Amino acid sequence: MTKRTMILGMSMLAFGSAMAADPATINWSKVPAKKLTLYYPGQSSYEWLISDAHKGASKETKRGDSCVSCHDASDEEVRQGRKILKGGHPLEPIALEGKNGHVDLNVQAAYDDKNAYLRFQWKTNSKDRGGIDYPGYRYDGKEWKSYGAQRLHPNAVAGKTPTVYEDRMSIMLDDGKVPGFAKQGCWLTCHDGERTMPKEATKEEVAANALLTSIKKADVRKYLPATRSDPSDWKTGKSVEEIAKIKAEGGFLDLIQWRAHRTNIVGGVDDGYVLEWRNFDQGKNHFASNMDKDTKQPKFMYDAAKFGAKAMTADDFIGKKETFLVKSGNAVPFDPNAGWKEGDILPQYYLSAADAAGSAADNKGTGVWKDGMWTVVIVRPLGLSNDDDKALKPGGVYNVGFAVHDDQMTARGHQVSYVKTLGIGAKTKADIKAVKLP
Amino acid sequence: MPRQASPLIAFAAVAGLCLSAPAFAQVDAAAAENLFKDNDCHKCHHETKSKKGPSLKKIAAKYKEKKLDEKEAIKHMTSGKKVKLDDGTEEDHKVIDTKDVKVQMNVAKWMLAR
Repeated sequence: MTKRTMILGMSMLAFGSAMAADPATINWSKVPAKKLTLYYPGQSSYEWLISDAHKGASKETKRGDSCVSCHDASDEEVRQGRKILKGGHPLEPIALEGKNGHVDLNVQAAYDDKNAYLRFQWKTNSKDRGGIDYPGYRYDGKEWKSYGAQRLHPNAVAGKTPTVYEDRMSIMLDDGKVPGFAKQGCWLTCHDGERTMPKEATKEEVAANALLTSIKKADVRKYLPATRSDPSDWKTGKSVEEIAKIKAEGGFLDLIQWRAHRTNIVGGVDDGYVLEWRNFDQGKNHFASNMDKDTKQPKFMYDAAKFGAKAMTADDFIGKKETFLVKSGNAVPFDPNAGWKEGDILPQYYLSAADAAGSAADNKGTGVWKDGMWTVVIVRPLGLSNDDDKALKPGGVYNVGFAVHDDQMTARGHQVSYVKTLGIGAKTKADIKAVKLP
Repeated sequence: MPRQASPLIAFAAVAGLCLSAPAFAQVDAAAAENLFKDNDCHKCHHETKSKKGPSLKKIAAKYKEKKLDEKEAIKHMTSGKKVKLDDGTEEDHKVIDTKDVKVQMNVAKWMLAR
């Protein structure tokens, strides 16, 4: 990451959190650090968790026992990750050579009157470059088609398209209103039928599903068991009215995601929630699709004076250049008559801090990759009152699950934590204690 | 002035070391613990506290009391026989993932030495 992009990210962050601490000036050496170990879970869905394949544990998980009531060895995560990735394990059908089974994640937390500040540090599997790249659209002489895919995608596995995806740091957060999350954490949201999971739903199955068609979704993503009549069958969605009632009662998880390609450069962090699907909050994200649905052409291209060309080529697509496409930065409106050649590539998303709005734009943050390690600071306003947010308050203790996506992967291709607790100046016990800033 | 250990105590300590060293050397504790965890035995059997199954300490005490040896422990971990749980239900005990008798013996010795 260049000095310019770092400065841009930091300045956006400082701008977004005016009247509060500037995260760049927080003395993190004074904030206690908690080391967590996250591990690769493969296809250990909620359905697997409660099945007999989860040997000797199905009865316990069905009745809601905590994961760590059995998985409590000091090196548990290291062992589980190694085992799942050793090759031939039923939970990982793809041979992922060189994939790390676990990640050590350093977590620090602080707060002031306005915000909570969460700082994360982890070493990436790649020692050469942070995962700041993302799939693009490639012009084949006639059309712009998706180009590049995450490592677990069948086309990437088959070598039909380059392997590329952004790194991510994600947090799922519960204020105690989601049944089971305090004990089984993120596993509640991970199901058969989801992308890269067993029995991945087909387009036809999704199109025939009453809930997914009514919420206009084209695939199955993270969901909470409470939103299904049969908690372990994605097809049995409850009515939109019943789901709205669960949401109104607070039975959803906040999902905060920092993204190395789609949010970092503009100082943003996703604000979403998990309920019947993995939703974004109301409003507008820090990134938007660069494909015009009507014209089937990109919306923006690079400003050649700033990027060096109006598009990328395969040679500079991955790992050579910073390929962010920033509105009001290095992007200009797409010109269909610019003399496009086969092999020209444009990003799938354009980024904009100014466009981000509403509840979706609550979270800010920035990350720097240096010497093989990401250092990411996420800023979350306290006391949010949107109906799709969990309000963090001083004195509160929250159940949290952490995930790191690395190594050009998304979906199941992450390392995850068992559920932990985060205290914001709370007097009661918590795994991670946020300290009040002076 | 520092007190000196009596010759009798010193003799007893040295003798104890001499007697216990060969027995101790027969157990590769690191290898045993590694196999124990790799087979997920620790999910049910904790060192000291009861989980789904009895603690290692409790197992060792029971074997001592009933004068059972490592062979009995190996039988338990390789036969997959039914075990009765605290809630009254029964389950097949997991079969350890090795047929190497020396390795099985090492784990059994390590467990019963808790």
